[in-house]
Amino acid sequence: MKIPMKWIREYAGIPVDAETYMNKMIMIGDGVEGYERLGAEVEGVVVGRVLTCDPHPNSDHLHICKVDVGEAEPLQIVCGAPNVAAGQLVPVAKNGAHLPGGVTIKKGKLRGEVSEGMICSGEELGCPPELYPNIWEKGILVFNEDYPLGADVRPILGLDDTVMDFEVLANRPDCLSVWGIARETAVALGTEFKKPEITVTETGKGDISDYVRVEVRDTDLCPRYVARVIDNVRVGPSPKWLREYLYGAGMRSINNVVDITNFVMLETGHPMHAFDLDKVEGHHIIVRRAKEGEFITTLDGKAHTMQAGQLAICDAAKPSCVAGIMGGEESEITGSTRQVMFECAVFDYAATRLTSRALGIRTESSGRFEKGVNIRTPLEAMQRACQLIHDLDAGDVVPGIIDLYPNPVPDQVVTGSCARIARRTGVDIPPEEIVRILEQLHFGVRRDGDSLTVTVPDFRQDITVGEADLSEEALRVYGYDEIPGTLLRGETTPGGRSERMRLRDQVTDLLTGMGFLEIMNYSFVSPKAIEKLGLPADDPRLNQLPIRNPLGEDTSVMRSTLVPDMLRTLALNMNHGNEAVRLFEASTVYDPAHRTAENLPTETQKLVLGAYGKAENFFTLRAVAERLLRQLGIEVTVERDGAPYLHPGRTARLVSGGETVCLIGEVHPEVRDRFEMSARALIAELDLDQIRRLRTPMGVVKPMPRYPSVSRDLSLVMDERTEVGPLLRDMAAAGGAILEDARMFDVYRSPILGPDRKSVAFSFVFRAPDRTLTEAEIGKAMEKLLKAAEEKHGAVIRA
Amino acid sequence: MGMRETIDQMRQMMSQELEKVCDKQTLEALRVRVLGKKGELTALLRGMGQLSPEERPAAGQLINDAREKFTAMLEARQDALRAMERATALQRENIDVTEPAPLPPAGSAHPVNIVMREMVDCFTGMGFEVVEGPEIELDHYNFELMNIPKNHPARDAQDTFYIDDNIVLRTHTSPMQARTMLTRKPPIRIICPGRVFRSDEADATHSPVFHQMEGLVVDRDVTMADLRGTLNAFAERVYGKGITTRFRPSFFPFTEPSTEVDLTCSACHGKGCRVCKGTGWIEVLGAGMVNPRVLEMCGIDSTVYSGFAFGIGLDRIAMMRYAVPDLRLMYEGDARFLGQFR
Repeated sequence: MKIPMKWIREYAGIPVDAETYMNKMIMIGDGVEGYERLGAEVEGVVVGRVLTCDPHPNSDHLHICKVDVGEAEPLQIVCGAPNVAAGQLVPVAKNGAHLPGGVTIKKGKLRGEVSEGMICSGEELGCPPELYPNIWEKGILVFNEDYPLGADVRPILGLDDTVMDFEVLANRPDCLSVWGIARETAVALGTEFKKPEITVTETGKGDISDYVRVEVRDTDLCPRYVARVIDNVRVGPSPKWLREYLYGAGMRSINNVVDITNFVMLETGHPMHAFDLDKVEGHHIIVRRAKEGEFITTLDGKAHTMQAGQLAICDAAKPSCVAGIMGGEESEITGSTRQVMFECAVFDYAATRLTSRALGIRTESSGRFEKGVNIRTPLEAMQRACQLIHDLDAGDVVPGIIDLYPNPVPDQVVTGSCARIARRTGVDIPPEEIVRILEQLHFGVRRDGDSLTVTVPDFRQDITVGEADLSEEALRVYGYDEIPGTLLRGETTPGGRSERMRLRDQVTDLLTGMGFLEIMNYSFVSPKAIEKLGLPADDPRLNQLPIRNPLGEDTSVMRSTLVPDMLRTLALNMNHGNEAVRLFEASTVYDPAHRTAENLPTETQKLVLGAYGKAENFFTLRAVAERLLRQLGIEVTVERDGAPYLHPGRTARLVSGGETVCLIGEVHPEVRDRFEMSARALIAELDLDQIRRLRTPMGVVKPMPRYPSVSRDLSLVMDERTEVGPLLRDMAAAGGAILEDARMFDVYRSPILGPDRKSVAFSFVFRAPDRTLTEAEIGKAMEKLLKAAEEKHGAVIRA
Repeated sequence: MGMRETIDQMRQMMSQELEKVCDKQTLEALRVRVLGKKGELTALLRGMGQLSPEERPAAGQLINDAREKFTAMLEARQDALRAMERATALQRENIDVTEPAPLPPAGSAHPVNIVMREMVDCFTGMGFEVVEGPEIELDHYNFELMNIPKNHPARDAQDTFYIDDNIVLRTHTSPMQARTMLTRKPPIRIICPGRVFRSDEADATHSPVFHQMEGLVVDRDVTMADLRGTLNAFAERVYGKGITTRFRPSFFPFTEPSTEVDLTCSACHGKGCRVCKGTGWIEVLGAGMVNPRVLEMCGIDSTVYSGFAFGIGLDRIAMMRYAVPDLRLMYEGDARFLGQFR
């Protein structure tokens, strides 16, 4: 909320500069975004009188003026404005003066004639029409009033104030007002808050009941409605001070009557509305929920169809105002308005918010109602408005007030202990100090030893939990800076990371050690992304949880797999010209079909690896997955067939104890095309929750071998289609207990072997823990594993 | 010629020959020529039979001395030859050690997780336990128990993603406060890092997905001073010596009193710079004393226990620490960006 400092100063002293003031306010909890010095760029511009005005000898439009600026000699100024004339009182930028936009005025010559300054237009001074009427009409600014020659023009133009921009906390709607801010200012700076004395002079005839009847049908949405009537309304421009205040607060000046309602809203926090009573059919105001399809054209000229249930201020026939949000065009105040009804009501915050959203209208008024307007203070605001009507001679206030307030809210009383109030803050605030602070904040305080009985001022609605609130009030004024730092006391707790986090950290360490970069994608995706994977129709991942109010189609469902995002990210890196990358993402996927006991979708932690580049192939990524799993104590076997979105000949499952723990492979060319990937890529999918379940601890070390080992190499020739993995597995099993290690070390293909044949070389290591093995034992073991190779896989020793 | 002269001659010959020897074979030939079975010195030994018994011991001594001497000379030469060979080999194996070699690819955790882990380390060291909760959360925990009643503006669809009337994407990590208090007894010291969601369009400083870390302490007699002490310790551990906190009054529905917490700007150490917009402080987190109403709703007697809670925005901290100009870079996955972190 923007407020000119002059306005605050009317009610609380500010004996410090704007910067200090801002910091003091911040430190008692009234946020300040910043401040702006109006007219900050204007300097050295004074009031001058044009004594003579003669045509320039070398120009058909310039004039040479003698201008008296209150100095010994008049200045000679060459002026090009068509409206310049002798006798005018004008703003004069003297030699060395500064104007907005970094302009500096220097003495010089114009077409051979000396010019010692410049006569300014309103625009050149950066003065808005709100502050000086008709200021932007063609040519120089001509003052209508008399001012001393040589006087600084800034105060005249309202360019001598500083506007503070407050950032009011959600629980302090009372500070969305000048009075609220002035109260806080007085506390922050130790000055006094003085509210204006409000007296209403009633010069109107009769009683309000002669003019209007008000009926509130839906008191749940309108718990209080205050109305007064002004007769013989004299609509006209507002005085300069009122225009300046409104301008500083960021509002436009309309006319005296409307400006008063806005002024009162800004000053008291109570939105008001003014109805042209002649346009209120039947002179009957009915506050009721609109009927479906009722129609209103609002002040901004836009037509709205109201929905059933939205609150409207109606006349006998139709809605005349969208309650708390915007008035209707028909009952708008105009130059011909004779009688006005002022409304100062309280509307339900939630209902106002819903209606404001539904109709797409946001106003200063609706914003205040949404945050909560105080039900106990609208009468005061109404009286303030009527006082101003009289003071500005804008009409005759009619005696009588309508105040429909069926369920008055009583004073709120809170009790508490001084010791506990202070204890919570961690600062030793003495009881007398607590009392002093609360009184300064306008609380009514009765202290009896340690116990306090506190009456909450009517403008504070945020004091709802008692002692804790009083702690905050005491502390914020005493000073948050005073809070000392103490370390936790009491029973210690073991602390530590969760098992889930430890695993995630371990996986991150292992993968980053192998050159992987961690990526993060949004949890929501386009429903189209998963379609690109070409999953079978019954795949459970096709069922993705929709968000009811997504930002857009592209982020409308919760992802059931990390794969599409990984593919998209790989494609992005390819398109950005990154030659080779290794990426991983460890994140949650969501399954709406399986619900928890609380009916929440199941969340599973998944891990996806992705890689491409010259050095990458199926085996490099499989090795990473195997290494990762082995480090976590999970031994796997490789089995053919993985996922449908992977290359059918280059996809596999890593299986442990009958469970698939990893799907891995090269991305299917079709899928690659759909994701617009320009190169082959590999991905692997794992399930961190499953890994957490399957992982095994390391256990104890094996004894160091005491007897020598014996190695035997073997080349077997077999059909090209024979899979080496199962072959090696079977040979290892046949090798018996003395076989310590079995591995493949070469594959050889040659026409000599015959068509579709390959020769595979293996190395076996034998060792017994308790003896040196004999040739016979090793020979027997080799025989067995050879037999297994031949019988199960048709692999025979290379001749 | 006497024996002594003969041996002297032999020695001279050997010295001269050894000088010339530059390979093992020649050396061996020389050894055989002098010390071999048919060698010159061996022949001398054999010739001893012709000497008188009185002469023999001295002659024997002379020959043995010569054998030892010649063996030593041969060995010395052999050692020298070996050293020369090794030197040549080393010379031959010389490489250009300045030649650039491809590095193994550098991996890295995501910047948000780098920051998260640092903080987790810091708080677990102070006895905090990590708890993790669901990302898709019941309205009840996300709002109701956090003292954000129905129709509160924070629950607006403009801020919150809804799955249905009762289920939302959690808008903060705070619901884990409620879940923890409902299932544990004080003393409670937990942190809850995780992913949260707000209905914000992505731009340079906003993201619909971001990360927070919640902290909660509930015990007897916990005060704002404990909150400050804990956060001061955190500031120093994570940002270095001399970094401290500034508390500013604020408002959150689930804490009372509430505070915004600024840390000394680590770029200028509080002097004021571009990073902190001249204030010397960086706004880092929100915190406060747990609202007694929240304690009561979660089944904790607020007349016996009090607590503090804080919530840190991790993306923002990562952004500031690494001067990341646009938050969207964090979620784009470009290796040129991610590859810079370590």
